[in-house]
Amino acid sequence: MMQFLKSVYAWLIYLFLYLPLAVMAFYSFNASKYSLTWKGFTLKWYGKLLTNTNLFDAALRSLTIAILSATIACIIGTLTAFMLHQYRFRGRKAILGSLFVMMMSPDIVIGISLLVLFLAAGFTLGFWTLLMGHVTLCVPFVAATVYSRFEGFDISVIEAAKDLGANEYQVFSRIILPMAIPGFVAGWLLSFTLSLDDVIISFFTTGPTYEVLPLRIYSMVRLGIKPDVNALSVVMIVITVVAVFLSRRLLKEKR
Amino acid sequence: MKKFLFALVFIVLCSAPSYAENEELFLYIWSEYLPDEIVENFTQETGIKVHISNYDSNEAMLTKIKLAGQGYDLIVPSSDYVGLMRRENLLLPLDKSKLSNFTNLSSAFVDQPFDPDNTFSVPYMWGSTSIIVNTGTLGSAAIESIADLWKPEMDGRLILPNDMRDVFSVALKLLGYSVNETDPAHLEEAYQKLKILFPRVRAFDSDSPKQALLSDEVSVGVVWNGEAYIANTENPNIQYIYPPEGFSLWMDSLCIPKGAKNLDEAHAFLNYLLRPDVAAALSTEMGYSTPNAKAMDLIPEEIRTNPIVYPTEAEIQHGEFQDYLGEALKMYNDYWVKLKTN
Repeated sequence: MMQFLKSVYAWLIYLFLYLPLAVMAFYSFNASKYSLTWKGFTLKWYGKLLTNTNLFDAALRSLTIAILSATIACIIGTLTAFMLHQYRFRGRKAILGSLFVMMMSPDIVIGISLLVLFLAAGFTLGFWTLLMGHVTLCVPFVAATVYSRFEGFDISVIEAAKDLGANEYQVFSRIILPMAIPGFVAGWLLSFTLSLDDVIISFFTTGPTYEVLPLRIYSMVRLGIKPDVNALSVVMIVITVVAVFLSRRLLKEKR
Repeated sequence: MKKFLFALVFIVLCSAPSYAENEELFLYIWSEYLPDEIVENFTQETGIKVHISNYDSNEAMLTKIKLAGQGYDLIVPSSDYVGLMRRENLLLPLDKSKLSNFTNLSSAFVDQPFDPDNTFSVPYMWGSTSIIVNTGTLGSAAIESIADLWKPEMDGRLILPNDMRDVFSVALKLLGYSVNETDPAHLEEAYQKLKILFPRVRAFDSDSPKQALLSDEVSVGVVWNGEAYIANTENPNIQYIYPPEGFSLWMDSLCIPKGAKNLDEAHAFLNYLLRPDVAAALSTEMGYSTPNAKAMDLIPEEIRTNPIVYPTEAEIQHGEFQDYLGEALKMYNDYWVKLKTN
């Protein structure tokens, strides 16, 4: 009985998480443009999506920024976590604390302060400022994820390696990095998602030359969201599912 | 590891956008508010490349223009924001000598109080915010004026915009005042009227009120005409009324913000959008009303004669554009908070 209840509960949770996505996918094939009544099966929204270069370009730009910022944030974040875990120095507590402050501060504050900083520095708003903005957004999350992974380490392994003559670099690349990989991957995926659906920071840090997808969709509210956005969302979800599946396969084979 | 880093830097350098165009234009506009074909055609005719970026509200656009102060050549503020940005010196005056097609505009939409003489703005699209009623559920004679919204039998069937200005406009018009009223006594009267109405409102929705209307969740209310047009297409019983007391008109205009670099290109684009064939294509494609008088003949008859999209001259006379309120805005805000919290 208990087992049954457990599985029902689990299914309910999954239903709650995935039902909205299923509904959206369902309506992306609906022939009716406005109402939620079913008016027959159609693929025309997917066809429309292919001709809507504006939306498509924005999606590609979003993916570019998400992949780059997740990767850069992962490198910086992992190094930060390593430093915080491995060394004791003045100001360590402050850096650790500031990471959490960054995670807690509202997007609008980060967005406006970055914009003011970029303008004061005389940067032209566009691709580079957006990338910097997204890296700034993601680094704390990666650092925290990887840091908590490091905390669970067995220190004696590292000490043993040092006893056997490994230098700092070897310890980092041969022992710490392989052990940190799961945290690294989790941090990367988290960053990727954060970057992909961030609206507010993107709004403030990007310029007229580099428009990303969330902004494009968000500013449709005045005129109503069109069904080709549903179609695009379905395409993006499929890509995401495939990517997650592949990354799991790759990680499995490595072990 | 080193190889990997080099590869990464290489990817970054390759994916950065390149700037090779000599003639370009940066347009800042709502999404999907300008069909791609119209822009592509302009680029073909003139060789000017148009970069489009989007905002989701007038407030957001104003913030970005104020803070960034450059990078955009054309913006599309609503009438009250034209008034505000004009007063704050955020706009550049237009060079009318480069806008030979300006005379195509209907006299009903130029020289409005929010921008006298159109020194700073070129009308782009316009519409109304007025009363909608489902005659199928309420009967055809239930609502004929704003006053009828206060009938007790409308209780729980009302939908209003989630927008302070639009809601106050309804009450102010009911009392015979301007939608830009700044007299505290008159505002107090409007507030008292709305206090009676608010408990009866079923939903406040500015994004997609058509959904609630089409599902019969509400039967009467105030919406903007774009929503009314769609609702009426789906269900002919849902009708749109221009009440005798008057109603609010909205208009989005094209302006050149301070800090714009490509002034010639901006004027060329403005003049292109003012061409009758382009304005007609815009209106037809989007289903919104064009302020371009010369374009009217080129618009398909079913749109041109649809009163939801194009009210008669006489009806337009009862309409009024929202302007910037200045100091009075605080009073409105206070009353709005009071209404929303009780």
